[in-house]
Amino acid sequence: MKLQLKKYVAVIAMALAFVSCSSDDDTTTTGEGNLKLEFDNIYKTADLAFNTAYTNSNGEVVKINKAKYIVSNIVLTKADGSTYSVPKSESYFIVDEEVTSSTLINLPNIPAGNYTKVKFGIGVDQAQFNLGADGQGNFFTLAQTAGMMWSWSAGYKFVALEGTFTSSSATDSMFMVHTGKTGTDYNYTEVTVDLPDNALVRTTITPQIHIMADVSQLIDGTNKISFNDGAMVMGGNKLAQITANISNMFEVHHVHND
Amino acid sequence: MKIKHILLLIFAMFFSCSDDDSDEYQNIPIEFNVPSNFPALAYNLETNPLTEKGFELGKKLFYDGRLASDGVVSCGFCHIQEDAFTHHGHTFSHGVGESIGTRNTPSIQNLAFQTTFMWDGATNHLDLQPIIPLTSPIEMDGNFENIISMMKNDSSYKKLFKQAFSNGEINAENMLKALGQFMVMATSSNSRFDKYRRNENGGTLSTNELEGYAIFNQKCASCHATDIFTDNSFRNNGLPVNPALNDVGRYRVTELSEDLYKFKVPSLRNIEKTAPYMHDGRFYTLDAVLEHYNNGVVNSETLDSTLNSNSTLGIPLTNNEKTKIIAFLKTLTDNQYLTDKRFSEF
Repeated sequence: MKLQLKKYVAVIAMALAFVSCSSDDDTTTTGEGNLKLEFDNIYKTADLAFNTAYTNSNGEVVKINKAKYIVSNIVLTKADGSTYSVPKSESYFIVDEEVTSSTLINLPNIPAGNYTKVKFGIGVDQAQFNLGADGQGNFFTLAQTAGMMWSWSAGYKFVALEGTFTSSSATDSMFMVHTGKTGTDYNYTEVTVDLPDNALVRTTITPQIHIMADVSQLIDGTNKISFNDGAMVMGGNKLAQITANISNMFEVHHVHND
Repeated sequence: MKIKHILLLIFAMFFSCSDDDSDEYQNIPIEFNVPSNFPALAYNLETNPLTEKGFELGKKLFYDGRLASDGVVSCGFCHIQEDAFTHHGHTFSHGVGESIGTRNTPSIQNLAFQTTFMWDGATNHLDLQPIIPLTSPIEMDGNFENIISMMKNDSSYKKLFKQAFSNGEINAENMLKALGQFMVMATSSNSRFDKYRRNENGGTLSTNELEGYAIFNQKCASCHATDIFTDNSFRNNGLPVNPALNDVGRYRVTELSEDLYKFKVPSLRNIEKTAPYMHDGRFYTLDAVLEHYNNGVVNSETLDSTLNSNSTLGIPLTNNEKTKIIAFLKTLTDNQYLTDKRFSEF
């Protein structure tokens, strides 16, 4: 009898343990909500401003008048390590400094949960190119309208950074950086950013992840791009260097959970 | 009695029309048979299955000048069927606003068996290829937003997109898929040469033609490979660079110095009909082409090694050999393809 009682106690204790475990999983994390990604373009330590002189580490002074990039293939990681991938065909966006609305991306139908990381691509990946038109939806139309179609090669500009530069031998000369798929390279890259606070997606809460995008990193990051030795950067190994620089371009500043 | 019959007839007419008038998706597959003498398909039909309505939509798009900014220059403007979809006699074609390009219009046939497109291989997917001429300011100068909006206001496009695609959407993806279907279907595989290769009726080659084929296999087929007659590679075939154009070829796409002045090895199908020849249309006759290989090749850093062996530039060809090769090349003319109503504008 005593033994049986012990058994009961054990069973109840285990049951309680299970219950208490399950109550850790917030009972409100069911259903779906929205998540917003804000891409706040900066240049080094200041908010990006067009036609404003910035001095790069190689002494060249640049003024930006166009900053656009394609954000794609968004994957969200939950606190438990599981991931949610935004459906590929709904996961192509153009962030354009000139179009305020484009810097705030709304992702609908996100499973409720506590998210700790965001992964996204800059550009269009090789697998998508291999599918041809399939899965592109109307993105080519949007890209052409936004000036992000790389029409001569039937592709996209992944990053477009344009402006003028002043160096030892040039004064306010035009520069253009366009990256994209070339004959040798896809120049697509993925970035993962950790969230300083969890993004709590609920049916009633739409977290907004405030991402700082330091566009100076593109040309004055790990790899330094000198416009003095070529101001029209649209191919060759400089694209690979710029693509590599993208990995240090993004950082999450804070998360709003309201 | 008579009236009853007439009513029945009218009734029947409604039935026969009803399919075409329907706004429903019509999944009527087209079976694509790879000719037995061809290599495997390079195009993946699974992501864009051929259907009768998809093909019909693609053909309509191909011949619609409204895709261009001037409302006139359709794909078919420079790609004329009877010339194997080249621009008859034009060294360079004229696009919108009488703009002139710098490269000769390539033929369209058997593209589904090829892996790179355009003279410099600027794209490697057939679905995406139309974007290049469509949006080029000196070709069609087209704008997707305007084109989509034009089609959304056109009753026959509205119907065809619904019939051709299960989601029925008028968008860039479906438009490019339809054009892809039209180009995949554009297969030239019934020349006298093909019939010879497949031991079919009408496949008789003369002694001259057979000798030409043998010489071709010995001296040309390493690049003009398979019964598609291209190995999809890019090569510098020793043309003197035209300084007025200085077309850098494949270098434009890769920016690798080893790719300077390289161009895609073109297919030779229907070559009798596709003059002028080479990426810049500099040769008006096949004889001039062969004479280039015999005696016109100039050396450079990137000249193809097969054209510079044993310190001999080019491919030595006697007049007799040239005559026989040309006789062989003319067996590649596929009149069935050049007159096939399925691909015709009218």
